[in-house]
Amino acid sequence: MKYLVLAGAALATLAAALLVGPANLPLADLASSPIVWQLRLPRAVLAFLVGGALGVAGTSLQALVRNPLADPFLLGLSGGAGLGAVAAIALHLPGPWALPLAAFVGAVGAMALVYRLGLVGGGELDPRILLLGGVAVGALAGAITTAIVSLAEATELRNAFLWLWGGFSGASWTTVLVMLAYAPLPLGVLIAAARPLDLLALGEEPAQYLGADVRRLKRVVYLAASLLTAAAVAVAGVIGFVGLVVPHVCRLLWGRLHRTLLPTAFLTGGVLLAAADTLARTVVAPRELPVGIVTALLGVPVFAFLLRRWTVG
Amino acid sequence: MRRWTVRTHLAGLVALAAATCARGERAPAAGPAVIDDAHRRVTLAVPARRIVSLLPSFTEMLFAIGAGDRLVGRTAWCDYPPAALAVPSVGDGIPPNVEAVAARRPDLVVLYRSGPNVTAAEQLERLGVRTVLFDLNRLEELGSVARRLGVLTGHRAAADSLARAMDSLVSQGPESPTPNPKSLAFIVWDNPPIVIGAGSFLDRLAGLAGAHNVFHDIATPSAQVSIETIAARNPDFIAVLSDTAAPPRYAGRPEWRVVPAVRKGRFLVLPGGLFGRPGPRAAEAVRELRRRLETTP
Amino acid sequence: MDRGLIVALRGVTCRYPDAARDSLVGVSLELRAGELHAVLGPNGSGKTTLVRAALGLVPLVAGEVEILGRPAHTWSRRDLARVVGVLPQREDNLFPQRVRETVLLGRYPHLSLLGGVGAADRAALERALVACDAAALADRWLWTLSGGEYQRVRLARALAQEPRLLVLDEPTASLDLRHEMELFELVRTQVDAHGLGALLITHHVNLAARFADQVLILAEGRAVARGAPADVLTRETAAAVFEWPVVISAFEGRPQMIPLRKKEDHQ
Repeated sequence: MKYLVLAGAALATLAAALLVGPANLPLADLASSPIVWQLRLPRAVLAFLVGGALGVAGTSLQALVRNPLADPFLLGLSGGAGLGAVAAIALHLPGPWALPLAAFVGAVGAMALVYRLGLVGGGELDPRILLLGGVAVGALAGAITTAIVSLAEATELRNAFLWLWGGFSGASWTTVLVMLAYAPLPLGVLIAAARPLDLLALGEEPAQYLGADVRRLKRVVYLAASLLTAAAVAVAGVIGFVGLVVPHVCRLLWGRLHRTLLPTAFLTGGVLLAAADTLARTVVAPRELPVGIVTALLGVPVFAFLLRRWTVG
Repeated sequence: MRRWTVRTHLAGLVALAAATCARGERAPAAGPAVIDDAHRRVTLAVPARRIVSLLPSFTEMLFAIGAGDRLVGRTAWCDYPPAALAVPSVGDGIPPNVEAVAARRPDLVVLYRSGPNVTAAEQLERLGVRTVLFDLNRLEELGSVARRLGVLTGHRAAADSLARAMDSLVSQGPESPTPNPKSLAFIVWDNPPIVIGAGSFLDRLAGLAGAHNVFHDIATPSAQVSIETIAARNPDFIAVLSDTAAPPRYAGRPEWRVVPAVRKGRFLVLPGGLFGRPGPRAAEAVRELRRRLETTP
Repeated sequence: MDRGLIVALRGVTCRYPDAARDSLVGVSLELRAGELHAVLGPNGSGKTTLVRAALGLVPLVAGEVEILGRPAHTWSRRDLARVVGVLPQREDNLFPQRVRETVLLGRYPHLSLLGGVGAADRAALERALVACDAAALADRWLWTLSGGEYQRVRLARALAQEPRLLVLDEPTASLDLRHEMELFELVRTQVDAHGLGALLITHHVNLAARFADQVLILAEGRAVARGAPADVLTRETAAAVFEWPVVISAFEGRPQMIPLRKKEDHQ
């Protein structure tokens, strides 16, 4: 029953994203309008994919670091992406793909650094150190970013920060295809790790006794979740709260077994972000709000509610 | 009636002098004095002889009123008129390098009023250097800035005539009303798309050139919009500020080509020096924009 | 090949990575089907390390470990989880879950990657719950259970793995008398009725002496004594290992240790 509602919500959100927009297209023209095909549809699909990716990444990371307050951007990835984006603009790198690629490289660089920090004796990954390392790397990246911003020309960099705040204005079929080609591998890896992730919730030692190869699991989950997040940032900037709140909503509705949780987190994240993007496009028309702000404004009350439930229950 | 007027004026002057003495101003009331846009009273003993200008428009204006020979420092961006290049540079000015400025031993530093510049001005004042802060965001402010620069440099006549020209440019409508006013949108960034609204002087320039900014309904100087909004408003031209003649990099992307003007390649590439900020060549900018609107297919 | 031999440690010496000293030195143990072995010793004597070494979690410096006739390091984690059910000392519970769900985790070693939970799995789950007298708790939330109930549920999870060997690390540490006795009885029943082996680490010397077939006493990583409770639990051994004067008294043929108060009860 709940699945039907979720599927229905997905369709409704996609329909709304296609129907709503400043161009005021009559229904009859929708199917043939380039505005729908080149702008609204790829944008809605991309928002859905990115939301789904963040939902799954957030769920996996919360299981990995055994912390219900973990968000994919807690691991320094947003700082790395920001640094990459700002460097690309400051260095005037050419081409329309310079910004996303640089952000991706920055995020992956941060991921590698945090990974290296998280490796304790014997090649074992310590999830607690991942969190601390993520904060440290994020702070370092932020400091370097500030240095670049203060040394380089001001106006273009201000626009870089607007990009970083998250948005799907640049959505195109090319970006959608890139996501579709890239995302299935890390997504598949994470869904295959669903049962071991259930076991990991008991603790590393009990999980091993129940058959999970915890060493390998930690590495694989960290890398897959980070790569998904890096792609999301490269394509759409830093969009917070989706990866934090969606796993909790899904756990409340569908329980905590990851075989169900991960797919529903994907759909829920997709619905949430596509809806947020539609709101971002319409509430202050003709202007647009950066999507990251809408998700934060929506996410904070939800997060506060969940926090109360957590500490009371 | 006349005696009453004279007496009132006399009383006013006495009160003003008393107030000035009461505040213990250093400079005698006889030297040039203006109120700047930070609401400070700026007074000099004698008209400025060593001026550092920290904005290209101020540099242009000083040359335009005949005070160019008094310049002892400029920013790296000040490249007009060509004579300005002979003046030593004190850096890019963002933020101003206080030491470099002070090293030129100026008796007046002219700054654009922004947060970092206010701080720099305070630091210069502590070093004993007089500073003056001007707003220069709209065409309407050009006249006032010119007049005050005239007072501070002693070139009042030239400054007043420049100011009159600036004021008349702004107060009149387009030179001749255009039969089919063209529409345009200024796009300054593509991801996310950022356009210019009514709060910016560019919007005013467009109006004076007989064109209509499709985003005139946005009150702020700039705003983020979606590609779809731009497509829906369908401007005849896309105006971009760039010193290279090439069309912008997003012109080839399929999602941007939904905008008819992008698809047809109807770009107005406007050089940054002339169109980047209000300046004494505003009239020339209007003429140039108008010319391009009429001649670009 | 000894068909009844489930786990054998021979002269095992091991050390944790980055540790200064060996945690176990030359420890041996042979556990057969139908036997309950208790491991006793003061804090820090290496009892938990013994479990970890037996299950391949700590690298061996010397000696060997065999499980069901094969060296321990040749077992994959998954295969091992199908024959050994472990109740570690600590376990986290990050998100609320129900009893049935957590016992189901015990079936995971038997589930294939793409396959779902089948009838055989559900049957094994029910059997485990019934065996641990936890069937009535099946739909309760874990956080509503008492300490004794929670341990029974964990034991049910281990039994759901359908193991040949049960390993319990201080399972009754915080339980009251009734629940402690119930748990020991449960384990003994499983061992007797189904031919499981059980390795039980405990502080409760007297219950170990009553329920175990063999007792291993560790001190500072070394095996001090190994054998039947009556042979191993003597006054001298106990007093030396636990560093406290005791007297030994028999009950139902098993030695029971009674600690003395200082300055009283001497001889």
